[in-house]
Amino acid sequence: MEVGDCYIGWATDEDIRTRGASGGLVTAMLAAALEKGLVEAVVVLKKLGEFEAVPVVTSDPEEVKAAAGSMHSVPIVLSRYLDYGTKVALPAKPCDARSTIEQAKRGQVDIDTTYIVGLNCGGTMHPAVTRDMLDVMYKLDPADIEGEEIDKGKLIFETKDGKEHAIKIDELEEEGYGRRESCQYCDVNIPTMADIACGNWGVIGDLAGKGTFVEINTEKGIEILKNAIDAGAVEITPADDKGKAIRAKVDGAMMNVAAAANKKYLSPIEGSHLDYYMNALSDCINCGACKTVCPVCACGEGAKCTDFSSASDTYKMSLFHLVRFVHLMDSCIGCGQCTDVCPVDIPLTHIYQRFAVPMQEEFEYKPGMDMTTPPFFGVDLIEEGH
Amino acid sequence: MAEVTEEWQPKIVMFCCNWCSYGGADSAGMGRFQQPPTVRVIRVMCSGRMDPVFILNAFLEGADGVIFSGCHIGDCHYVNGNYKATVKYKFLKAMVNELGLEDERLKLDWISASEGERYAEVVTEFTEQIKKVGPSPLKPEGVI
Ligand SMILES: Cc1cc2nc3c(=O)[nH]c(=O)nc-3n(C[C@H](O)[C@H](O)[C@H](O)COP(=O)(O)OP(=O)(O)OC[C@H]3O[C@@H](n4cnc5c(N)ncnc54)[C@H](O)[C@@H]3O)c2cc1C
Ligand code: FES
Repeated sequence: MEVGDCYIGWATDEDIRTRGASGGLVTAMLAAALEKGLVEAVVVLKKLGEFEAVPVVTSDPEEVKAAAGSMHSVPIVLSRYLDYGTKVALPAKPCDARSTIEQAKRGQVDIDTTYIVGLNCGGTMHPAVTRDMLDVMYKLDPADIEGEEIDKGKLIFETKDGKEHAIKIDELEEEGYGRRESCQYCDVNIPTMADIACGNWGVIGDLAGKGTFVEINTEKGIEILKNAIDAGAVEITPADDKGKAIRAKVDGAMMNVAAAANKKYLSPIEGSHLDYYMNALSDCINCGACKTVCPVCACGEGAKCTDFSSASDTYKMSLFHLVRFVHLMDSCIGCGQCTDVCPVDIPLTHIYQRFAVPMQEEFEYKPGMDMTTPPFFGVDLIEEGH
Repeated sequence: MAEVTEEWQPKIVMFCCNWCSYGGADSAGMGRFQQPPTVRVIRVMCSGRMDPVFILNAFLEGADGVIFSGCHIGDCHYVNGNYKATVKYKFLKAMVNELGLEDERLKLDWISASEGERYAEVVTEFTEQIKKVGPSPLKPEGVI
């Protein structure tokens, strides 16, 4: 087994295989890592309902197994739950994986003891918006939903009576539902920065829906997959060229969709920028929730954005946000969580991206893709001609 | 009584590093180089100490313009503080532009301790520049 190899894999346990999103490989691999002592803890999403889950850090393989399946309406980024020095594994959408790497650059995560099991991701939905969408678009009661999947560009909900209800995602997004805005313009679908990238794209023929496509990205990726095979928890077969080509093609198509969404949402502001930002931020109630969930912020309690800012001297604009604009310019990955949690509905991710993207493009630096030093930390920019 | 002509005078905050630019301000005074009384100098040990929060706060507190200044590249007394300042400036400048504050309101310059005349020139030019763009839109109400 070598870095760069691609396989199709599945869990040997029948129960995990059926409950997993596409063959339960990820669940089986994470559980085997715990059982064989490769890691001390695993971070997973504990399911509370169809649209609700909480992150848990667990050493109990049963809890990992119970978490099988993809939750498309739980846009929680897991990297904040990693402890420095603990040997830990986590399932990671590209935003989970990228923020884990950004945290590692800031000394919050030890990348050598963290196994990032990447999940391809085409986007997540906000749970409250999803409920609303079920009511308005599907004419369904959210309480009747038993399962959900995405197939051929359609979002399909299964109700308790066994019926399936499908609507095209494009159609939903035109109405303001569907994936979160940040997911619509996110162009990283395959987590190449994770130790191993898993997904259902490229799984064809008899295995479709029953197997996971995995690409090995690092030595640690080999380690965690081999560990699971040796434990008898998973089986793999080499991926064929056709599968690889399909996966690459879908990824490319999704990137084009993202580029179009980027144009749509992040085109330059018309009129006065200052009026736009003052207006948007004037609703801020200084609750700090956006900072609390930010998966790339490593400041902790005594942070500049909070310590120097108080509501009483935020005359025309929030100093808290001004500091964070600068601070996140080279690290914002556009995960969307600040927008998700904002109690007064400020489109924060959108705003932060407006500051961050041009700078990241100028420095040709995309945060979280690898361990490259962020430009803000580098003093050799002048010599490099910037 | 002579008529008092009231021309608007901008408020400028200038951060000077202890070893060069602050000395430059001293030299400007000792050499009696004329300069407008628009600048409030704040001394920092090194231009590398400049935190974006200082500059943003200066604007929120009513500054019409901010200059930060240090030793010439290669002369920093802490080896590479002014390189760090350059990096921060680059980010701040982009941020201030996207925010919609006029580009003219923020400036980085290198002034050595012996350059009193240059110090006066920088202050004079910057003051003229700020007078052209007028009071900062971020100035709180009630602050002149
Ligand atoms: C939101 C989302 C979107 C996806 N979109 C695509 C796609 O477009 N194309 C593609 O090829 N693959 C996509 N996947 C990956 C795919 O659905 C499977 O997760 C993958 O194929 C692995 O299948 P499995 O059966 O081995 O995983 P499982 O054994 O079912 O394990 C899934 C693991 O993921 C964790 N998990 C579930 N939901 C989330 C979440 N929201 N955030 C973080 N972790 C979570 C669970 O805790 C569990 O540990 C997506 C996954 C998610 C979570
Ligand atoms: S001491 Fe003057 S810039 Fe560092």
